[in-house]
Amino acid sequence: MKFAITMFSLLAVASVIGTVLKQNEPYNNYIIKFGQFWFNIFETVGLYNVYQAFWFLLILIFLILSTSLCISRNTPKILRDYKKFQDRLRVKSLLSFKHSYQFSIKKFNAKKITEFLKSNNFKIKHKTNNEEGDLIVAKKGDLQKLGYIFTHLAIVIISIGGLLDGNLVFKVQELMGTKQIQLLDQELSQIPLAGRMSEKNLSYRASILLSEGDTKTAAILRAKEGYLVQEIPFSITLKDFNIEHYATGQPKSFKSDLLVRDKKTGESITKTISVNKPLTYKGVTIYQAAFEDGGSKLDLLVWNLNSSTPSFQMKSEIFKNNKLTFERQNLTLEFKDFRKFNILEISNNEEKKAKPTNVGPNFLYKVRNESGQAKEYQTYQFPIAVDGNYFFMSGTRDSPQEEFKYLKVPADQNLSLEGFMIFKSLLNNEQKVSEAINKGLNESAFQTNEKKEAFKSGTQNIINSFIEGGYNSVVEKMDLNIPEKASFLEKEKAVKTYINIIYLVGQELVKSYEAENQNKIIFPTNNSPRFIQDALTAYSDSFFYGVPLYLELKDFKHVQASGLQLTKSPGQIWVYLGSILLVMGIFCMIYIQEIRLWILVKNNSNSMIVSLATNRDRMDFDQYAVELQDKIKKITN
Amino acid sequence: MLKNTQDKFISYIFSLVLASLTIFALSKFNSFMDNYEIIILIGSAITFAWMGNVWLNFRTLFSFTFLLSFISIYFYKGSLEQIELNFFLKYFLSSQSAIMWMTALFPLSLITYWIYLLSKQDFYGNLATKLTWIATMMGFIGLLVRWYESYLISIDVGHIPVSNLYEVFVLFCIITALLYLHYEEKLEIKKLGAFVLIIITAAVVFILWYTFEKGANQIQPLVPALQSYWMKIHVPANFIGYGAFAMAAMISVAYLLKDKDILSDHLPELNILDEMTYKAISIGFIFFTIATILGAVWAAEAWGGYWSWDPKETWALIVWLNYAAWLHLRLIKGLRGTVLAWWSLVGLVVTTFAFLGVNLFLSGLHSYGEL
Repeated sequence: MKFAITMFSLLAVASVIGTVLKQNEPYNNYIIKFGQFWFNIFETVGLYNVYQAFWFLLILIFLILSTSLCISRNTPKILRDYKKFQDRLRVKSLLSFKHSYQFSIKKFNAKKITEFLKSNNFKIKHKTNNEEGDLIVAKKGDLQKLGYIFTHLAIVIISIGGLLDGNLVFKVQELMGTKQIQLLDQELSQIPLAGRMSEKNLSYRASILLSEGDTKTAAILRAKEGYLVQEIPFSITLKDFNIEHYATGQPKSFKSDLLVRDKKTGESITKTISVNKPLTYKGVTIYQAAFEDGGSKLDLLVWNLNSSTPSFQMKSEIFKNNKLTFERQNLTLEFKDFRKFNILEISNNEEKKAKPTNVGPNFLYKVRNESGQAKEYQTYQFPIAVDGNYFFMSGTRDSPQEEFKYLKVPADQNLSLEGFMIFKSLLNNEQKVSEAINKGLNESAFQTNEKKEAFKSGTQNIINSFIEGGYNSVVEKMDLNIPEKASFLEKEKAVKTYINIIYLVGQELVKSYEAENQNKIIFPTNNSPRFIQDALTAYSDSFFYGVPLYLELKDFKHVQASGLQLTKSPGQIWVYLGSILLVMGIFCMIYIQEIRLWILVKNNSNSMIVSLATNRDRMDFDQYAVELQDKIKKITN
Repeated sequence: MLKNTQDKFISYIFSLVLASLTIFALSKFNSFMDNYEIIILIGSAITFAWMGNVWLNFRTLFSFTFLLSFISIYFYKGSLEQIELNFFLKYFLSSQSAIMWMTALFPLSLITYWIYLLSKQDFYGNLATKLTWIATMMGFIGLLVRWYESYLISIDVGHIPVSNLYEVFVLFCIITALLYLHYEEKLEIKKLGAFVLIIITAAVVFILWYTFEKGANQIQPLVPALQSYWMKIHVPANFIGYGAFAMAAMISVAYLLKDKDILSDHLPELNILDEMTYKAISIGFIFFTIATILGAVWAAEAWGGYWSWDPKETWALIVWLNYAAWLHLRLIKGLRGTVLAWWSLVGLVVTTFAFLGVNLFLSGLHSYGEL
């Protein structure tokens, strides 16, 4: 018993570790988290897969053994008690009971008493030729004791069921060296026999990732830092995958149209599965478990954010890499993911409260330079409302641990990127910029040519450094030019002036563009200053964007992949049966009260002794005992 | 005798009304229900009829809840706009208002229970009980009307309001209150309201924070994993467990105080408190066991395995082991007294972690109620 409880406590502690330490993560994450030294120790102990660890299974096995031992030791006694009536008690011991009553009676009517007891569900044994007198032994609630057997047996059955569904078979095979976890990414056909589990494997929970139109004949078992191939008795084809959405854009259902074909007979069935609605075929249950991109096709436009170079087209696919030369650098674009629906908490102008809104597709890619360094990007196809104004959002980060930092490019009058792209080209057009400065100068109040010239070259300097590196570079340059002793306030004033100058130049550029292209309305007409400011900010931020390469998603063909889980679980039925037994047992133990009753009428006397006993003395039993003896008293008188 | 006949007559009428309402619902909404839902409907009708007949106050609660919910639904006229337009909906019977009434009434009854505990005047005791009943009723109405409201948002959004942390917290409050009211009546332990209502009020504070800080009262559509009839059974059963464990812990507080001679003039006898803790834990244990098993059956259908060592599952197992040990010590070893009282108090910490902490600190399959 003590051993069993120790085992239970160990089980609890181990389970807690398993919940606190995230299980089955890629091993690299653990190394980053703990460092190499602790990583090795934790790995040896098996903390990354606690529930499959050898010692964990050992605890389970010990638990089964010791609980079984408990049962086998106590069951005979319980069964004996179950049958037995304690009819050898003496007057003295009967009177010593806590609930014992003695009273005189007129006439002893055994039949009436037994009938009364029977109607109260007592089992009765009547002993007339007792040495001390007439003895009625009654009892009820024997099931309470059986509850003990039920619950403990249930724990054993459930644990055995659980073990059946564990990976014990593989553990043994791994120990014997016949099976080995695979670490390399290989073609299915290349994987050696040691990395394959036979379709006769007792139990498994394997997974399959299928792109639309694909067929697969084996599943993958994730194991520690690698995987194994699980052979299955059929092939699965994903004919179609569908996601339905609620009006708010949140996913409502994931459905896979499957074609499952028996490998031996060639017999096939088609079935649509979804979450909560799996398909069971040949003893294997197929679940809708996940979805991801299956290699969507993308039509892209490649822009340079801070030069006037024209854009060009590019085609790609998710999971494909594109190589290109950009600003004299050889870059590799690695496309990682595409999501058609994205729900963000957005507040639109009319209502202040943020509401989940579908903001449309985005795609994820990495830009890797020649030295192998990469930055990750997440770019949305359509502009997103921020405080009522629309921006094209493209996030960037250096590692997956970081949050994306977003570049916000303002959308133009037609909610397209074109306005900004024209604007940044204008900024990079020396002639236009100098025209704009001149125009501003003409409208200014400077009297002398000298002052005008000085102002002109100053402005040109500011603009040039802005074009080369955004606001940051303007500030840096200013720090060089302004005397060190200038106060903070003076500096701030200067910065404000510079920003204003840059804005005014921007405004002139826009005005002159609009004058030259009168038929074309591209810059927002109702809120032009805001657009110019946002465009300048976006231009300035683009210097923190990594390579100034912006990918605009023009069109796409969505290809999806469905993640299926395949479960073979022969222990399930035992777990369920054990569970039913467990509930029954708990009911018996808690809600059935074992009661024993003795009624003795001594030989040649008119006094009756009524004694009651229960194995668990509870408050309500006091009341029950009084009431029962009272009733018996009434019957006899 | 006349009263007895009258009681029987009312019981009879009550069952009859429930039966006819069930038949009405079955015939009118038959096309919207699958077999499981039909079973659940009939099962609920039988449960409520039985509970209403063995526990008369429950019958009253049920009848008023039913009536007021229907009045509320009538006021909606099939449109959510009525919440702002209709006076009664705006201030009393819309789901949000009803729940707000509940959050106001529970703390009020806590205060009244304390006044009763210290003053020993029956007037306050009875008032506190009534307040608790009304608060519970408002909570029920709030959830029922919320259920209806969810269908007004859109037919496909409609679902039973036990799907996120906000909704189950309301459920926790009313289930704990109901369990307490049951024992209060049965064992005449009115003074324990001063303790049990503490945990309910704590939950109420959480609800208020969650509502006003996080806007959690918004009805959200169900994620695919939750779209199952199992949710209707698994979640409420679990919360009967949580509620009972919470109540047991609060009674243990009273036990420990009495044991240390604090407030001891004002509290019931130790053996009553001990017995009460036992009763609460055993009812909680049974429901928690059933809920966990049903959860496993559901998991086998939704996640591809009855047990995945998901943090929530694992912590449910730990909670289960904890109370199994408690019962084992009491039933088999015959242990009583302070150790068990402390244990049940620690049990509340473990339970709270399983209920709330897992959502806060650990991620996993059960992440439906993130903060």
